[in-house]
Amino acid sequence: MNKNIFLITICIILLGSGASWVIQKANSSYELTIIKKVPAFSFITQDGLSFTEKSFDKKATVLDFIFTSCAGPCPIMTNNMMHLYESYKNVPEVQFVSITVDPKIDNASTLKEYANANGVKDGRWQFLTSDIESIKELKKNGFMLYADELPRGHAIKFVLIDQDGQIRKYYDGTDKASMAVLRKDLNNIVNEIQS
Amino acid sequence: MNTFRNFSYLSTGLTYLLIFVGGLVRVAGAGMGCPDWPKCFDRWIPPTSLEQLPDYIDPAKFNIVLAWIEYSNRLFGALVGLVIMVTTFLAFKYYKHVGRIKWSVLAAFFLTLVEGWLGSVLVDTVLNPITITLHLLLALLIVMLLLYAAQEAYYLENPDSEKMSRYPSTLKWMFIILASILLVEVVLGTEIRGGLEMIREDNPMVESQFLLNMLGPFKYIHTILGFIITGFSGMLWYRLVFGSKNPSRIMTQISTAILGLVLMQIIMGELLVFLGVIPLIQLFHMWVASWILGLVMVQYTAWNQSQLAHE
Repeated sequence: MNKNIFLITICIILLGSGASWVIQKANSSYELTIIKKVPAFSFITQDGLSFTEKSFDKKATVLDFIFTSCAGPCPIMTNNMMHLYESYKNVPEVQFVSITVDPKIDNASTLKEYANANGVKDGRWQFLTSDIESIKELKKNGFMLYADELPRGHAIKFVLIDQDGQIRKYYDGTDKASMAVLRKDLNNIVNEIQS
Repeated sequence: MNTFRNFSYLSTGLTYLLIFVGGLVRVAGAGMGCPDWPKCFDRWIPPTSLEQLPDYIDPAKFNIVLAWIEYSNRLFGALVGLVIMVTTFLAFKYYKHVGRIKWSVLAAFFLTLVEGWLGSVLVDTVLNPITITLHLLLALLIVMLLLYAAQEAYYLENPDSEKMSRYPSTLKWMFIILASILLVEVVLGTEIRGGLEMIREDNPMVESQFLLNMLGPFKYIHTILGFIITGFSGMLWYRLVFGSKNPSRIMTQISTAILGLVLMQIIMGELLVFLGVIPLIQLFHMWVASWILGLVMVQYTAWNQSQLAHE
C-alpha cells in the first residue's frame, strides 16, 4: 500500500511538472515579431482633427480599413472592433483606428455619424479619411494590404501596432478565434507599455 | 475474463489521463489550436513550420505550440477510443449473458464516439461553453461506466470478497445523491471557469482575484455544495467504516480516499480563490473531481456486492 501511494505521488508530480511545462510553453507562444514601421502619413479624424503616425506613440493600436456604406465584411469587422472597444474601456493605453477606403462618400461628418451609430463615445476609436491616393498608398505600401479596387476590394485584416508605431501582427477581422488571439497579444503590448 | 478486466482498467486509466490532457488544453487556452477538425490545418500531422500551411489558411491563425497541444488531445482520444472498443469487444465475448457489464461498456463506447463528435462541435462553435461542459460531463460518465463494468466483472470472479462485510442496507440513495451532487458541482465549477473567462474578456488587464469578485452568486453555491459533499462523504465514510460489520479492506480504503480527496478539493478551491486562478491548480481541481466520482462508483459496487451476498 505504501509503495502504491509512493508510485501515485511520483506519477502526479511527473504529470504536474509536465502540465506546468506545457502551460508555460503555451503562455509564451504568442509571438509578436516586428514587421515594419508604419510610414509617415497625415489623415483627418471624424472630429476634423489631424491623425498622423505620431498618434501611435505610447499606445497599442488596433487598426482596420472599412467604408461606411459597405454591406459585406465591414459590419462584422466593425462589430468585432466595437466589442474590443467596449472591453478595453478601462485601458487608456489601447486605441482603435478605422480608415475609410471610400473617401468620396466618407468625409469627416459621415464618419462621425458612423462612429455615433456604433456607440463610440470617446477618443479611443478614431475614424480616418484622406484623399483616395494617400489612402491607397498607405494601405498598399504602408500596411502591405491589398488596395487595388477600392473601395470594394478592401482587406479584412485587423492590424496590431505597438507603442513605437511598428506593425506587429495581422488578424482576420471577421474571425472569432482570431479575436481571442488578438486580445492576448494586445494585453502583452499593454504590459510592455505599462512596465 | 481477466483480459476483460485488464482492458477495462486500462481504458479507465487512459480515460483519466485523457481527462487530464483535455483539462490541460483548456487551461493552456489551446482549444482553437487547430482551426479545423479532425485534421489540423488540413494535415493529419499538424504543421511544424509556417511553410507547411496550406495557402487558404490565414498564417496568423497558426501557433505551433497550441496546435500540438490540441492535437495531442485528439490523438490520445483516438487511442483511448480504440482501447475502449477492444474492451467492448471483450465484454461481448466474455459477458454475453451479463447485461449490466455488456451494456455499460457499450454505452461507454457509444459516449466515446459522441465525445469525438462534440470535439468537432467545439471547433465549429469556437469553444461554446455549454459544449465544453458537456464534453467533460460525458468523459466523467465514461469513466464511471468503465469502472462499474470492471468492478462488476471482479465481483463475478470473486463473489465472496464482500461476504464477511455487513453495511447498512439503506445507503443506496446516499450513493446516488452523492454522485448527482458531485456532477452538479462539476457543472458549477465549469460555470465559474467559463464565467471568469467572459469577465476577463470584458476586463482585460485586471487581476484574477478581482475578477472572481465580479462573478455571480453561483460561486457561493459551488462552495456551499462543496461543504455538503464533505458532509455526505464524511457520513458515508463513518457509516461504511465504523457503522458496519467487518468492512472490506477496499471499502475502508476507498471511503477514506474519497473523504481525503474531498478535503483536498476544498483546499485547492480556497487556494484558487486566495492565490488567484492558477492554471495548474485549476487543472488538478477538475481532475481530482473526476477521481472522486470514479471512487464513489467503486464504493457503490462494493456496497452492492455485499447486499447481494446477504440476500
